[in-house]
Amino acid sequence: MAILRRSLLLLVLTLYTSFAAGPFVWAAMMSLRTTTEIHRNHFAFPNPAHWEKFPDAWFNSNYGIYFVNSLQVVVAAVVILTLIGAMAAHCLARYRFRLNRVIYFILFSTIIFPPQITIISLFQILVQYGLYNSKVGLTLVYVAIQLPLTIYILESFFARIPADLFDAARMDGYSDWEIFWRVALPIALPAVATTVILNFILLWNEFLYAVVLITDESNRTLPLGIQRFIGDTQEDVGMIATGLMIAIIPVIVVYAFFSEKLIQGMTAGAVK
Amino acid sequence: MAVVTIDKLTKIYDRGHAPAADNVSLDIAHGEFMVLLGPSGCGKTTTLRMIAGLESISSGTVSIDGRVVNQVPAKDRDIAMVFQSYALYPHMSVKDNLAFGLRRRSVDRAEIERRVANVAGILGLSELLGRKPHALSGGQRQRVALGRAIVRDPKVFLFDEPLSNLDAALRVSTRGEISALHRRLGATMIYVTHDQVEAMTMGTRICIMNGGRVAQVGPPLEVYRNPANTFVASFLGNPPMTLLPAIATDKAGGRCLMVGSCEIELPSSRCPPLQPGATVTFGIRPEHLAQESASNGATIPVDAEIVRVEPLGAETIVIARLPGVEKLIFARLAGEATMRIGERRQLFLDAGKAHVFDGNGLALRPA
Repeated sequence: MAILRRSLLLLVLTLYTSFAAGPFVWAAMMSLRTTTEIHRNHFAFPNPAHWEKFPDAWFNSNYGIYFVNSLQVVVAAVVILTLIGAMAAHCLARYRFRLNRVIYFILFSTIIFPPQITIISLFQILVQYGLYNSKVGLTLVYVAIQLPLTIYILESFFARIPADLFDAARMDGYSDWEIFWRVALPIALPAVATTVILNFILLWNEFLYAVVLITDESNRTLPLGIQRFIGDTQEDVGMIATGLMIAIIPVIVVYAFFSEKLIQGMTAGAVK
Repeated sequence: MAVVTIDKLTKIYDRGHAPAADNVSLDIAHGEFMVLLGPSGCGKTTTLRMIAGLESISSGTVSIDGRVVNQVPAKDRDIAMVFQSYALYPHMSVKDNLAFGLRRRSVDRAEIERRVANVAGILGLSELLGRKPHALSGGQRQRVALGRAIVRDPKVFLFDEPLSNLDAALRVSTRGEISALHRRLGATMIYVTHDQVEAMTMGTRICIMNGGRVAQVGPPLEVYRNPANTFVASFLGNPPMTLLPAIATDKAGGRCLMVGSCEIELPSSRCPPLQPGATVTFGIRPEHLAQESASNGATIPVDAEIVRVEPLGAETIVIARLPGVEKLIFARLAGEATMRIGERRQLFLDAGKAHVFDGNGLALRPA
């Protein structure tokens, strides 16, 4: 009976893994094949494997530039989001002041607006401030769009930190600023890791704001770079797949680095 | 060591609502172990937090060694506090928890090491210094919380129900440890609890609070023996003092009470002469009722109907009803009392230990 149950579980897991990992493996195989080979047989194994496509994409198809641009914009946005989001969440969760809940509600209510509604006004604002077509402008927009969700996730976690800990730190002689850095933030690390991963993945793959707010080749991010290989009449599928593989590496690195904390953050409160 | 003086301390959270602490005044001497005792919501923790500097003061003053500290931040009051939840920093080891306060005060690193090792030795934490709080038992966490207070060598220690999360056995031993610590350090300690056993066994003096106000202050036994009002009388003691409505008669020089249909004559040491017909409250502690009359004849026999019998081995708690009185009376009888529910028995009441309270619930004492 136990063997049957185990086999059944294994079967379900295998099916799910194939379903989830299938497209990734397919894209990985295509990244090592030329577009001509792919058109001939969509699902064939790469034979021979065209490893030279990676340096070719990096140097000749500007993926190197897109990658660095993406890295600059997303890392800066995630760092700013994490710092401001954590401080705001700590403040909203910890301090009682007038309009606390009103501010929280206004912040949170912005989540419901679809990006299409704000994008025209954002475009206008960025043009007026001279930030259109710049990485700084895109970074600020990314911070703005992700901040409410970041605060929402972190606030609920910060609110669960017992108030006695802050009182104990005050008695130990620490200021509010020091308490945030030395007590609240380290305790909230699992939740912070969750938001880091979430924001990194969402922003790394972000396309809509980038395509509207960036037009310069030198400022394009990876999703825009990949889109460049999709033409009106034809598309370079092989190069798109190679670009996808290059794009996915940082996401895997970030996930591998923070995943343990992410799981802690997701299960926090589930057990004592 | 320090003298802590609280003068008319008041805390109002919401205008229009009753104050959480209302004109609390208290003088706590050098090296005294003062226990703030009372039911939940009586204002004892609020008072403690105002002393600590964790709560703003609506009116009144807190002074430490004669210096008013109302505007002094918590960190500069030289006070350490042990919290009900222990409040150990979960991301730090035991050693870091102990050293955290000292590091902020720029104590020399070698001195921190020495003090932490010393406190860990006193509290039996030396083997646990590398562990995180989640890897400690409840008792060990409690000791770390104590250690964190001791290591700073503060003027005043504050305890906010530090034993309430421990199991019964550990509570008894930790109670002893805190008392021993007080004797060893000779420090001024203020201890908040709702557990009267802790208050009675640990406090040099106890301050009983009710509804944000001080109900009575004094040495534990003194307060137990001579409660100032019906609240203190019924709060201290388990089972509590029985309080029954009574009417003064003109017999025995105004010292005779009718409790239901029982006539109880009180000695002059317990009660001033009362106006005949005056409505008062008669109080008697369970241990001042017995199955047999005292050899000196000082006890008064009362007829009682047995309502419930709770044999505890060493003693028996009997709950009975006096004729003409709706309220039940508690009696703590020595040994195993042979009584059956529903039977009528004679109990002997020690009138020399009885209490009388006026219509406002305040104790009446002979002039």
